[in-house]
Amino acid sequence: MSEKKILTATEQPDTGSALKKSLEMTSADVVFEVRESEIRGRGGAGFPTGIKWNLAGAASGSNKMVICNADEGEPGTFKDRYLIENYALKLLEGMTIAGYAIGSSHGIIYLRAEYPYLIPIIEKAREDLIRENLLGENILGKDFNFDIEIRPGAGAYVCGEETSLIESLEGKRGVPRNKPPYPVNSGYLFRPTVVNNVETFAAVPHIILNGAEWFQDLGIGDCTGTKLFSISGDIENPGVYELPMGSTIGELLEAAGAKDVQAVQVGGASGATITADELERSLSFDDLPPGGSVIVFNSSRDLMDVLENFLEFFVHESCGQCTTCREGNVRLLDAVHLIRNGEISSMEELEPFFQLAEVMKIGSKCGLGQTSPNCFIDIVTRFIDLPDGKGGA
Amino acid sequence: MSRNPQKIVFDAVAKYGSGREAVVQILTEINRELGYIPEESIVAVADAVGVSNAEIYSVISFYSFFSTEPRGRNIIRLCTTISCEMKGSREILETIEAELGIKAGATTPDGRITLETTSCIGLCDQAPAILVNDTPHTRLTPDETRRIIAGLE
Repeated sequence: MSEKKILTATEQPDTGSALKKSLEMTSADVVFEVRESEIRGRGGAGFPTGIKWNLAGAASGSNKMVICNADEGEPGTFKDRYLIENYALKLLEGMTIAGYAIGSSHGIIYLRAEYPYLIPIIEKAREDLIRENLLGENILGKDFNFDIEIRPGAGAYVCGEETSLIESLEGKRGVPRNKPPYPVNSGYLFRPTVVNNVETFAAVPHIILNGAEWFQDLGIGDCTGTKLFSISGDIENPGVYELPMGSTIGELLEAAGAKDVQAVQVGGASGATITADELERSLSFDDLPPGGSVIVFNSSRDLMDVLENFLEFFVHESCGQCTTCREGNVRLLDAVHLIRNGEISSMEELEPFFQLAEVMKIGSKCGLGQTSPNCFIDIVTRFIDLPDGKGGA
Repeated sequence: MSRNPQKIVFDAVAKYGSGREAVVQILTEINRELGYIPEESIVAVADAVGVSNAEIYSVISFYSFFSTEPRGRNIIRLCTTISCEMKGSREILETIEAELGIKAGATTPDGRITLETTSCIGLCDQAPAILVNDTPHTRLTPDETRRIIAGLE
């Protein structure tokens, strides 16, 4: 398979055509169409979007909320920036359709603090839609009001986790909540809330216009649709690529022009580190995490440098709420230093750190602490030569 | 000339309300205008929202864009995450440090520029990258970096 541009196609469906079609359907039918498409959350966690919308639509409570998670902070991911830069109208239209589907009149885009230059782009798209009566009051003459507010973050990776994001929107420290209750029942200000990624909302108009079956046929099995990938590192053409879900990592690397591959980090720092022998593996919810970040390392790279960089990132970004994550990442970084200094020279000596990694996975509340040990396990077990403490190169 | 910190809080509360959910927006406004959030603003926000000073401080300390120390008129945020590091962010950091005579985390004595390192800023396809105030600069070379710094007021 090669590139298949839908969300990033040059020719886009007319703005508002999907919203118009949605408003001619019942809200239940819109939710049904999205559910049948089997689209799963594009932020990485992969929760079925239609089920989320169904739950929020059915939840009791007024002032339901549609929130767009535009806080992409995973190292190596920039696809949402690209979508907003180029397809902001589709994002806003997808959010408006979500508002109609769940019975909400208020949308918020939580935009990461590092993207202040995208604010004017979103504001312009919003104004254009209001002028066309595709946003605001009595949209397309119907009894449906919806508006969208931009709320910038203030710099915290963990706020990409949806309950942290909600805490941040409520003016608090962005620390993850206990679940349940889930946001669909009690989210922003205890209101039923749908939180979806930028790419998920941007896909919705295409699903409504072309139908669930069309979307299913784009992907493989229950991993439907296309997916955007941000590729960077040692490749010829870094950038955003859209491929059918379930494509292999090798197909993506070919599209981006990778010549010399020692290792690939798939799914960001919290994802998986694979070797050049595994390029047949697929980017799907069944195999390699399809969140969007792909970083290529050529044979000159010492993977210990990579691991150290990732763990420094996690030490800095842990919110500190769970001891396993707050302290665990510091200890794993210590282990990296010990390996590099030659103070750890055998796998047996690393055993306590592997145990710690397991404790972090089960003892941390959110995805950060649950996934941050992945890079340590992958790189140390697959790339490191002991006792010289080098990781390839 | 920037406005009085309490006046900024007053205007921000008029704009965003005095609900708890307005706190990050109010703090963003102060931080943007003054470059940091002084103690008297913390007290004013706490009073307006009806929570303790410590509660407001805890929010400030959580987010990397907020500061309780005065910062320069310009803030350079240099990405040190892996894709930028592989494309030479270390050399760019050394260039800026040499040019300004300060280390990352510090502000030039004349208050012109604060230099910070940051986690991934989502410009990995155009590495190495920095954010100068609200503007991204990408595919940097040491020469280009020096030129950008020279252009800052």
